[in-house]
Amino acid sequence: MIDAFLLVGLPYLALAVCVIGVIWRWKTQAFSWSSLSSQFLEARQLRWGSTPWHLGILVVLLGHGLAFAFPRVWESLMSHPTLLVIAETVGLGAGAMALAGLVVLAFRRLASGRVQAVTSTMDLVVLALLFFQVLLGVLTALLYRWGASWSTTTVVPYFWSLVLLQPDSSLVADLPPVVKAHLVGAWLILLAVPFSRLVHVLALPLSYLWRAPQIVIWSSPRRAAKMVREQRVQESRREFLKGAAGVAVAGSLLSLGVLEKLARFFQGPKLAGEMETVLLTKRLHRIRMTAEEQALQLERQKSTRILIGRLSELSSSKGKYFIDFNMAPALAFLDANGLPLLISAKCTHLGCTVGSEVNAQGQILCPCHISYFTITTGEPNVGAPAKTPLPHLEWVVVDASGKDLAHRGSSGAIQGSLQGVPPEACSVYVARPTEEAS
Amino acid sequence: MVFHLDKCIGCHTCSVACKNVWTDRPGAEYMWWNNVETKPGTGYPTHWENQKKFNGGWVRVGEGELKLRAQNRADAFLKLFYNPNQPTLDDYYEPWTYKYEDLFSAPAGDDQPTAVPVSLITGEPMEIKAGPNWDDDLSGSPIYAENDLNLDKLSEEERAQLFEVERLTMFYLPRICNHCANPSCVAACPSGAIYKRGEDGIVLINQDKCRGWRACVAACPYKKIYYNWKTGKSEKCILCYPRLETGQAPSCFHSCVGRIRYLGVLLYDAERLAEAMSVPEAALVESQRSLLLDPNDPAVIAGARANGVSEEFLDAARNSPVWKYVMKWKLALPLHIEYRTMPMLFYVPPLLPVMGRTANQIYHHDHQGFFSGLQEARLPLKYLASLFSAGNTEIVEAAMKKMMAVRYFKRIQEVKDLDPVAVERLMREAGTTPAEAEEIYALTSLPTMYERYVLPPLHREEAIAGTMDPEVCKGCSGFGCHPTPQRGA
Repeated sequence: MIDAFLLVGLPYLALAVCVIGVIWRWKTQAFSWSSLSSQFLEARQLRWGSTPWHLGILVVLLGHGLAFAFPRVWESLMSHPTLLVIAETVGLGAGAMALAGLVVLAFRRLASGRVQAVTSTMDLVVLALLFFQVLLGVLTALLYRWGASWSTTTVVPYFWSLVLLQPDSSLVADLPPVVKAHLVGAWLILLAVPFSRLVHVLALPLSYLWRAPQIVIWSSPRRAAKMVREQRVQESRREFLKGAAGVAVAGSLLSLGVLEKLARFFQGPKLAGEMETVLLTKRLHRIRMTAEEQALQLERQKSTRILIGRLSELSSSKGKYFIDFNMAPALAFLDANGLPLLISAKCTHLGCTVGSEVNAQGQILCPCHISYFTITTGEPNVGAPAKTPLPHLEWVVVDASGKDLAHRGSSGAIQGSLQGVPPEACSVYVARPTEEAS
Repeated sequence: MVFHLDKCIGCHTCSVACKNVWTDRPGAEYMWWNNVETKPGTGYPTHWENQKKFNGGWVRVGEGELKLRAQNRADAFLKLFYNPNQPTLDDYYEPWTYKYEDLFSAPAGDDQPTAVPVSLITGEPMEIKAGPNWDDDLSGSPIYAENDLNLDKLSEEERAQLFEVERLTMFYLPRICNHCANPSCVAACPSGAIYKRGEDGIVLINQDKCRGWRACVAACPYKKIYYNWKTGKSEKCILCYPRLETGQAPSCFHSCVGRIRYLGVLLYDAERLAEAMSVPEAALVESQRSLLLDPNDPAVIAGARANGVSEEFLDAARNSPVWKYVMKWKLALPLHIEYRTMPMLFYVPPLLPVMGRTANQIYHHDHQGFFSGLQEARLPLKYLASLFSAGNTEIVEAAMKKMMAVRYFKRIQEVKDLDPVAVERLMREAGTTPAEAEEIYALTSLPTMYERYVLPPLHREEAIAGTMDPEVCKGCSGFGCHPTPQRGA
C-alpha cells in the first residue's frame, strides 16, 4: 500500500504539482524567478562549493537522462564490460564531486552570517533533499554495483511505465530500500521545484548561445510594431538574398564540375611524358607476357611431349616447376624408385599454385588455405579445404639417343626401366594426356 | 548628460536624492546609482577601473573586432555557477545603521548611552571599515589617492609632484550609469533581461526576466550595475525614467546644487556603432564624435523622421546643451572610452587648479604665455587624458585651452587687466571666436533650468510607464511591478 503510494501516486502527484506550479509561478511570480545567488555576500567558499556541485550533478543527471531517454541504446552500450566500468566510474566520481560541493555549500550556508541573512526555510529544505538524494545515489553506486546495467531492467521500465500511463511498481518493488528511497527522493525534489529556488534550473539561458549581442526595445506600441515590421522585412530580404546567393554558389559549383568533366571527355586523356613512358612500359610488359604465354601454348599444341629437364635435376625433396599441357603449373619429383613423379601443382580447392618443398610426411603445401597433399598419392590431408587429390601426369623418359626408355601411361602403370642408364643421360618429358593424344 | 566638473563642489546632494528616491530598500542599501568620487582616488566600488580584476567592457581583437572582456558565449555558462569577476560586498562596503532605540531605552548610568552601529545585512553589531565615499577629499592619502589606477601612466617624478603637500589637488567625479550606446552589460546578460530603450536610449533591466546570473555586474566596466542581495536581481540607474516621461528632470539633476548637469538629446548612427568602437584607443573620442549626427543637417532630420523620431525630440536635439558641449564646442569628453562601450555621459574636464602660474609663491594671471599654466598644471594632463580621452592628451588639452580662452575673454571684458590683442591671439590659438566664447560663457555660468534640461516628455499615449506612480513601489523591491514583489523562495 505504502509502496503503491510512494512509487505510483507520489510521482504523478509530484509531476502534476510541478507542471501546474511552474506555470503558475511563471505567470504570476516572475519577479521571484532567480538563481538567488549569494556570491555577492560570500564568494570564496561558494567557488569551491557551487562549481563542483553543479558540474557533478550535471554529469550525473546527463547519465540518468540518457539511460531513461534511450533505454535500448543504453542497454546495448552497458553490455560491454569496458563501457560499463567507465560509466560507473564517471558516475560515481561525479556523484562524489557533487556531494563534496554540497557539503561545502551546506557548511557555508550555516556558518556565514551574511549568507544566513538570505537563507529561507525552503533553502534548507532543498539543501537537505538534495543532500540525501545525492548521498543515496552514491550509496547505491557503492553498495549495489553496476546500477548502470541492472537499472535497465528495473528502474528504466518502471519510469517508462509511468510515462506510458501504465504504472507498474512491481518492477522496482524488490529493489533494496536504499534504491527505493532514492526513487522517492527524486519525486520529492520534483514536488519542491515550483516552491523553491530550484526553478532556476528551468531558466537555463540557452538562447544566449545565439541571440544578438545588443537588445533595443521600443516601449511605444506603435514604434515597436514599426520596428518589428521593418526588421522583419529586412530580415526576410536578407534571408532571401542569403538563400539566393547560396543556391547560386551551389549551382555554379555544380555546373563547374559538370563542365569540367564534359571538357575532359571531349579533350581525351592528356598525359605527361613521364607518365606516358610508364604506361607504355607496362603495356609492353603485358604484351610480352601474353606473347610468352601464347608461345608456350603453341608449343603444347604442336608437340606431344615437352622437355622438363634431365633426370638428374629432379629430387625427391624439392620439386621442379613446369607448365603442363593444360597451361597449369605442375611439379616434377623423383620417386622412391628413382623414376620421375609428375604431379599437378594447381590446388584442387581454389587453384593456387602448390608449394614445391616436401615435408617430412612426404607432403607439399598449398599456402592459400593450408592444404597438405601427399605427393605419392596426390591426396589432401584430412580436414583440408581441398577435397579432391592432385592428379599425377603422364611422362616419358628418353635417353641421349632419343630412344624411349620408360613412360607412365594414363592408367598410372609404368612401362620400361632405367636400369643401367645414368640419370644424366636421361631426359624427362611430360607427355600429352593420352585421351587427348588419341 | 554632461557634467561640468568645474562647477561640482562634491556635496553629494545628487547621491542622497537618488538614494532617497530609489535605493532605500532592503537589499539596495549599499547601492549608490549616483555616487561622487574624489579624484585622484580609488573610487566606489574600490578600484572599479581595474579591468584586470573585474574584466568589464569590450576589447578589440585583431583588426577591429569587438569581444567582451569578461566572457564568451560558451564560458558564460560555466560562470553561472561562480563568476570570478564579480565584485563582492567587501569591494563596496557593508551597509549599516545605528541602534537608535538604545539612546532611549538604556538604563540610567554614569555614561551617556551610545547608538552602536549594526549591519543592515546581518543585523549584528559591526565595526565600520568602509563607506561609499570613504576617500572623500583625501587627495594626498597614501591609501586612496595614491592608489588611483589612472596615475599608472605618470612618471615617478610627476607622481611625486602630485603629492607634494603645497600642490595637493583634487576634483570630484559624479558618476551614474553611462547609458552606453554599445553596452557590454546588455551583451553579457545570459537571460537577455537588459535592454536599451529605443526612444531615449535608457538602459534598463527587466526585473521579471532577470535571473540573477550576475554576468552584467562583471561586464559593466563602470560597475554601475548592482546585485540586490535580497531579491536576487540586478539593478541599475534608470535615469529616473518615470520623471523624464512626465517632463521632470532626474532626481540627481534636479537636486544638483552646483547646477553642473546638462541633459539633452543626441542623435547617433547606430549602424556604424561597432565599427566606430573598434578603432585604436587614441582615436576613440574622435570616432565617437563621428557617430553623433548634426541635428541641423536636413538629411539627418529626414532620416530621424523616417525612423519615427517625433518633432519634439528633433526640436530638443537642435537645442540640446549636450550637442553644444560635446560636438559644437568639443569641451565635454566621455569617461574611460577605452572600455569601448561608447558611454553617453560626458564630462567637461576641471580647469580650476590649472589657472594661474606661481612665481615667488604668488599666483599670477598675465598674458606672458597664457597656456603655460596648462603644462605646469597641478593635475597633469596625462592624468586627465587617462580618464577622459583614453590617454590622448591632445584632446584634453584642446578642451582646456578653449575653456581658458573663454576665461581670458571674459577677463578683458570684466577686469580689463589684460592686453586685448594678446587675448585675441590666444583665442585664435584655442580655436574659438568671441561669439562662441560668449555662448560658452552663457551656457556655463548663466543657464536656466530649461536651458540645462532640454528633453520633451513622452507623448501621453506612448508613455505607458509614465502613467504609473513611481512612489507605488517605494519601500518594496523592484520597479513597476504589481502586486508587491516578493523575494523568491
